[in-house]
Formats: sequence, C-alpha cells, structure tokens
Amino acid sequence: MYEIASKKELAPDIKLLEVYAEQIAKKVKPGHFVIVRVDEKGERIPINPASCDVNEGTISIAFHEVGKTTMKLGSLNRGDRIANLVGPLGNAAELGKYGRVLCVGGGVMAAPLHFQATSLRDAGNELITVIGARTKEQVILKEEMRRISSELFIVTDDGSEGYSNLDFLEGLLRKGRIDRVVAIGPLVLMREVAELTRPYRIKTMVNLNPIMVDGTGMCGACRVTVGGEMRFACTDGPEFDGHLVDFEELMVRRRMYVSREKIAVLFYKGLGGCT
Amino acid sequence: MSGLKEEPRIGVFVCRCGNNIGGVVDVSGIVEYAKTLPNVVHAEENSYTCSSEGLSRIKEAIVRQSLNRVVVASCTPRTHEPLFRAICEEAGLNRYLLEMANIREHCSWVHIHEPEKATETAKEIVRMAVAKVRFLEPLKEPEIEITPSALIIGAGVSGLTAALSLSEQGFDVYVVEKEAEAGGLLTNFHTLFPSGQDASDFIESIIEAVKGRRNITLLASTVVREVRGYLGNFEVVAQQINQREVRLKVGVMIVATGAVPLESKGLYGYGEFEDVVTQLGFEQLLKGGLPENLEKIVMIQCAGAREEKGVTYCSRICCNVALKNALYVKEKKPDIDIYILYRDIEAYGRGYVDYYQKAQERGVKFIRYTMEKPPSVTEGQNGKPRVEVFSPTIGREIDIKCDLVVLSTSLIQHQAGRDLSQTLKVALGSDNFFLEAHPKLRPVEFAQEGIFLCGTAHGPKDVAESMTQALAAASKASIPMAKGTVKTEAVKAVVDEELCVGCGACVAVCPYSAIEWLSFGQPKVVEASCMGCGLCAAECPMGAMQLRHYRDDQIVPMVDSLFESKRATVLGEEPSVVCFACRWCAYAAADTAGVMRLQYPCSVRLILIPCSGRVDAVHILTAFARGAEGVMVAGCLRDGCHYIDGNIKAERRVDAMKKALEVMGIEGERVEMFFISAGMPDRFVESVISFTDKISKLPRLRRASQEGGASSV
Repeated sequence: MYEIASKKELAPDIKLLEVYAEQIAKKVKPGHFVIVRVDEKGERIPINPASCDVNEGTISIAFHEVGKTTMKLGSLNRGDRIANLVGPLGNAAELGKYGRVLCVGGGVMAAPLHFQATSLRDAGNELITVIGARTKEQVILKEEMRRISSELFIVTDDGSEGYSNLDFLEGLLRKGRIDRVVAIGPLVLMREVAELTRPYRIKTMVNLNPIMVDGTGMCGACRVTVGGEMRFACTDGPEFDGHLVDFEELMVRRRMYVSREKIAVLFYKGLGGCT
Repeated sequence: MSGLKEEPRIGVFVCRCGNNIGGVVDVSGIVEYAKTLPNVVHAEENSYTCSSEGLSRIKEAIVRQSLNRVVVASCTPRTHEPLFRAICEEAGLNRYLLEMANIREHCSWVHIHEPEKATETAKEIVRMAVAKVRFLEPLKEPEIEITPSALIIGAGVSGLTAALSLSEQGFDVYVVEKEAEAGGLLTNFHTLFPSGQDASDFIESIIEAVKGRRNITLLASTVVREVRGYLGNFEVVAQQINQREVRLKVGVMIVATGAVPLESKGLYGYGEFEDVVTQLGFEQLLKGGLPENLEKIVMIQCAGAREEKGVTYCSRICCNVALKNALYVKEKKPDIDIYILYRDIEAYGRGYVDYYQKAQERGVKFIRYTMEKPPSVTEGQNGKPRVEVFSPTIGREIDIKCDLVVLSTSLIQHQAGRDLSQTLKVALGSDNFFLEAHPKLRPVEFAQEGIFLCGTAHGPKDVAESMTQALAAASKASIPMAKGTVKTEAVKAVVDEELCVGCGACVAVCPYSAIEWLSFGQPKVVEASCMGCGLCAAECPMGAMQLRHYRDDQIVPMVDSLFESKRATVLGEEPSVVCFACRWCAYAAADTAGVMRLQYPCSVRLILIPCSGRVDAVHILTAFARGAEGVMVAGCLRDGCHYIDGNIKAERRVDAMKKALEVMGIEGERVEMFFISAGMPDRFVESVISFTDKISKLPRLRRASQEGGASSV
C-alpha cells in the first residue's frame, strides 16, 4: 500500500498526488512510467510521474479525471492508500545536451513534461516551452514552466489564452533556432508537432501512451508501429522518434474499449447526471 | 438542466382522425388526461388536426394561451411534422418546439381490437411527448452559401459529359484525372456497340469539346488527396504526380472514377498463355487491324463473374461487347470460326436482341456451359490454346483447338476508387462500387449532401447509360449552385466544453469527418458537415457531446415519464418494452405496420431517434432502472444505414451493453439489436411479438434498492 503524502488540484478535474514510494523515487527518471492500481479490483493504468523527491521518498503523479479509474484515484485524499504502484517502468528519456530544445506539453501531460524539461535544462539546454490545453482553465504549471524556460508560449484550443493553434511554431522552426523537440500530450498534439517538424528534420521525441496491461513486455497490448516495425511502448519506449510513429494506427488501437469505458463511468457515477 | 428560459406552457391537440383514432381510443379521455400533465395549460380534441380548421385552432391557441410548446397527438411525424411545424412558425413559435405523439400508426391502428388498452397506451405516448416537449429548445436552420464551382473526379466519358453539362450551365468545373490522358477506359476500345462507331473518334470528340471550354480546368496525372468541408464549401487538396499540390474550392463534387476489367492471372490461362486475352485486350488488338492467321476464336463469357463468392454480379456489358466483336470479325472475315461460351446471354436493352440474332445468323456458334462445369483452357498442339467445355445441351464434352481465347471478364472497382471512398467518406456497396443514397429516390447522389456519382464508378453500365447518368448527376449537382444558398438541418451535434475531456471518441466515430480535433484535444463540430446522426453523442463517454433535438436530457425524460406513474391495470401483465427506433427504417416500418393494420401487443413504446447509432448506454440503463423489462434497439438493415454504418456501431454498443447488464445481474438478452428496413412492417411486428414473448418468460426485474448498478433511482 502506498500512502498519499499530499494532494493538489492543478485545474478542474486535474489532480496531482504525491505518494510515498521510496524505492521508485530512488530510481525514477523522466520518461519512465509507473503503473497504478487504485484498489484490489482496480484497473492498472500507466502514468508518467511529474516529479520525484529522493529525500522525502515520494513521487508525484498528475492525472485528468476522464474515466472510472482516474475518478476513483481523484477521490482519494492525503493519508489514503493506493493498492499498488509499480515502477519505474519503460526507458528513461534521452537527456543529452542538444542546444535549444522546444518542449511541447498538452493538458495534464504538461506535468511529466515539466519533469523532463527540468532535467533537460539541468543538462545545459536552453528551453522554449509551449504548454497548451483545450481551455485556459486547464493550462497547468504555467509559472513552474516559465521559471525553467527562456520563452514560454501558451496555446488553447478555444483561444481563451495565448495562441489558438500551433501554426506559430512554423515561424520558430523556419528561423532554424531549434535543435530538438520533445512533445508529450494527446496523440493528436504529438502527431501535429511531428508533422510540423518533419520538413525541418528536427529530431522530435514523443512519449506514447497506448493501452497497457502489464507494462513489462508480456502482453503486447501496447504495441505500436515505429518506423514500420512493431515495438512495445512499455519496454521499447515509451519515448520514440515522432517522425517514425504510425499515429493513425495508434489512435485506432487506443479507442478499443471506448464503449465499455463509457458504461464503466455510467455505473461509477450511478447512471450519470442526466436523469 | 436544459436551461429553460421560461416556464413551459404546453398545448396538446388530440386528433380523432375521423374514426381512425377516435373509433378505437377514447379521445376525450386522452384530452382530460393530458390536462393533468405538468405544464399542460391547454388540451383539446379535433376531428382532423391537419385540416385547415384544426391548424387554425393550433394557431389560435398558441396566440391566445401564450403557448410556448405544442404536442400534436395524431399520426406519424414522418409525414405530418412539416405541416404542424409550419403552423407553429406561422403563429410565431419556433418550429422545433413541436413534438408529435404517434397515436395512430403506433396505437389505434395496431391495437384495433383492444380499445381500452389502446386508450391507456395512447395516454402513455402522449405523456412521453409532453415530457420531451418541455425540454425542447428553439433551433435555427443555418443558411450557407454555395461556391458555384464543381469538382469532377475522373475524366472518362461520364466525367467529361458531366463537365460539359455543368460548363454549359455556366459553372466553373475542375476535372481531376489520375492518368496522364483524359478519356478513361474508352481510349482502349476499338468500336462501340451497337453503332460500330470508332471508340477513339468518339471519345476524342468529347475531349476536344472539353478542352474548348474556358470554364473547364482539366488536371491530368492528379489524384484527390484530401477533402474537407461540406456542401457548398468543399476544400480539396489534389496532388499532381511529381508536382506540387493543387488546392481547390468547390461547391459540389461528382465521382466519375469508372471501373476496370478484371485481369486475374490464371483465370482460364490468362497471363499464362499468350493467346488468352480479355475483351479489352482484344479491342486493343483489333485497333491494329484484324490479326492474320486467325481461324478460330473462342470467347468465354462471365469470366470471373456471377460467382458464388467474389464477383457475384453480372457486368451487363460483356455480352454485348462479345456480340459486337464477334460480328465485327465475321464482317471482316466471314470464314473465321467464332465460339461464344456462355451461361446466359444478357442482351438486355433496346436493339440488342436483334444484335444477338444477327450474330447467330452470321454463324457465330453459341455453346452454353454451367457454373458447375466451367470450360478449361490448356496448352494444345503448337502452343495454341485448347478449350474443353461440357455442353449440357448435347450432354457431352466439346474440344476446341483455337488460335485465340477472349475472356469477357467482369468490370470491377479499382484501388483508386476504394481509396477515394475513404477520402470522401462515402459508401461502397457490397460489390465495392460506389453506393447511391437511394436506388430510386436519390439515384445519382451519395448520402452526404453535395457529392454525386455517375458512370461505371456506380456499377457496370454501357456508354449510353453512363452518359445519361452523367447528365442526371450534373443536373442534380447544378441545383444547389443555381440556388446559391442552402438551408441546412438544425439537428446537429454540439459539444459541452466543460464536460469534454478531449478523448477524441467523437472525432473517430463521426462518419462524415464533421468533427475537427484541435491540437489539445478539443473537438469542434463543423456544423455544415454534420448530418445529425448522433453517433458522436452516443460514443462520448462523458455526455459532453449531444445532438440537438435528441439530447440526453430530452430523450431520458421520455423514458422517465413512461414509468413515472403506475401502469394502468388494463394493460395487464404484459412486460414493458422500450423500443428506440431509427427514423429512416424501423420507425417507418412501424408506421407501415399501422397502415397495414398489423396487430401487436401493447407492450412496446417507441422512441424516435435519428439513427440507432444515437442510442446511448445511458438511455438503455435508464430504461431498465425506471421499469422496462426489455429494450429494443431497431435500426436499418446492415448495409442500409442512412448514416453509413450507425446501425453497426449500435449493434456493437448493444453487445457491450449485454455484457454490462450481465455484470449487474440482469439477463443480457433483455436488450436486443434489430435490423428492420422501412419496407419490413412484418419483421417489425414479428420482432415485437417474439421479443415481448421472450421477455415475458423471464422473471420480472427487481428494482430500486435491490439492483446493483441501476439502484440510483
């Protein structure tokens, strides 16, 4: 059992839990993920940690309450316990010294991006950061990102804050000021960033989040096509070269259980709020 | 929850429809009952609500009683809704604030012998309509401008003919052709039947005419890569081979991508022996003149066609092509022997039977074969083909050593056509050809507005038919352009951004690509592309996506109201079944069942939905939680969905629902998917009877606190 050290609401429905997990905290690096199981009968969900604190022996996880499991997770409070926390799993992200790195984070994934960006800065890179969300209410970690970046851009789908789309990146890329790109967020975002950088041949790393079961390479549920080859996001990734990822296939695979997820949410909420 | 600005003031108009309704149910009783329902401030009966007197009474009541909602309890909305909507509008009420209660087709006509039960049933139907109308919202039908230009995909005889027609009407036309030259399949033909006219001359004259038109732009070696937008405003990205992409803005599109003859290696030795060619190959051969040293030719009809699997259809033109080529050869060299091996000669169409007779008179030998014992082609002496065929007419094998075997192979869809169907998101039939919206009522257009089709892209046909169809498609396509603007449906998807979590399920499920997925996961409905099926609303796990006029908070109250008061004892022990019926098929079948006076039990209550794909888990669960013993989800036949494949998605959801119910301890068989076309009233009635029967044999569900997941009541 893993005790929750603190809980913070980053935005409506986006929560950050700090959890005591000494062994994981010692080893976890940006790019790794952990698998959380809320209770004994719970589903296993992979989450990229948002930070770790070796001294306190804690790691933190940020999540958006979008389904039954994340809603359950979000209902826990300080002192409550999570049944399992497995990790670190997967491979750490590449954290070399590249020069100027463009970091793009979307929605709740801005949290693990912050973890990774901090390490990239510590490795001697200059950061240009873009964080975005569907609305301005859902933009998280703005100040934290500003502190580590030389430039910060905000993008919202509804235009409520900053730019309303990523077209402005064209200008940045065209000037040739970017040496490397890291994108973490919704698949649609990572695909778009990869397409934007492709003509400029700037290495663009993305962190994939397919459906996973065990997270250790046994089940094959997380397979993705990268560069025409079948890879496991859990043991070969989750970070891959965005220019080689077959996003279309991944999107289709990700939707495998949509109708069942819906029913699960309805049951969890007791038929939903419509009645 | 639906954000009503003012308290609903509902008027209920119950129609006697002469004796049609009044002769069975107690109309006055229904009126009295309606007056007791919440927010009903006016209720009256009419002899014929649809008569001018009935209509003026509605108008008068709206004004005098300040009604802001109207329920007409009469016949099916499928025929009479426009009339009542128009009257509401005349009285200053938004046309979408009307709801119809179908107490004729779904009640008085189908429960003729049970007047008491029918009356109680009618009360329930009215109650459900009143429940829904309270939550209806005024809607607008947006008007959009039409760009007066057309894109025609395919520069064969059909595409070019359509282009000429639109150009002559004064519209700008872009014709995109994937090959380097225009002309399509006809450029490979030698002559045309039945005139014997030179095919090249014919198609060249059309190409010349097209090139002479200033408002036609012909883009060869170009494929359509991406299409966005909707009727009136399509944005097309076309890619020219080895060149830059071209961006076009057009109001309408016509698909005229044609077909190709099947060329299957190994079929009767095709691709293995040099002297086995297709009819098209033979035509090309004839272009260079009749080859010397030909003494015997065997033509095999239905080569790779009308099979049990694969190409099951008849390609229609091959018999006439074979007759034409045989006659040509006979005319040039009467002493060449020609054998036509056939299963049936389909010399359909004007003048073609004469053609067939002429061929017989000229000495072409026709030998019938059967599908069970098809001919075989092997290599004979001197490397020439040897054809063996069993003739059922004379009951023995015939052995023909010939110089050339000509295969009349079927016309098939090509890969580029399949790719295009994906790009345009338009349907293909089970034969892989493009599928029209309706074979009789909308024969040259797709279900999607603004996209039309013609020629062999739609299925095998001859040149004359292709051209006729091209002219029809051009004519249809010109209508919106000539009008300049078009009013679109008000029933569209709408997203509640607060509830949305950006999962993209709606984007993926939309059959019309009408939902854009913005960078950070926000869905955006492109209203003009949205056809109003509601698939996205049912797919949305958060209830954030809704379909106007069929919102969850408009459908669920209908279910709630059905079970909110105790069922009348006269309705007896029949289990209560809720049927979500697709407007286009199942609901229509139920209407027809009424027209035919087919009788079925009073157990079932229909809820009208635009597509079975709109049925949401929350609707089904609510039905069970409130009191339903069974739920029917009824859509169109498997390949007949009005919205491409909403019914298939509905079936998948019903399957998931069955499993979910089992988990809750409810028998999965209590929810069932039905596929019923509008022309199948019998199947509808039979489904209701057998489903009710099945459900009545199950123990009654225990509700409220006893049930696990459904206990939130």
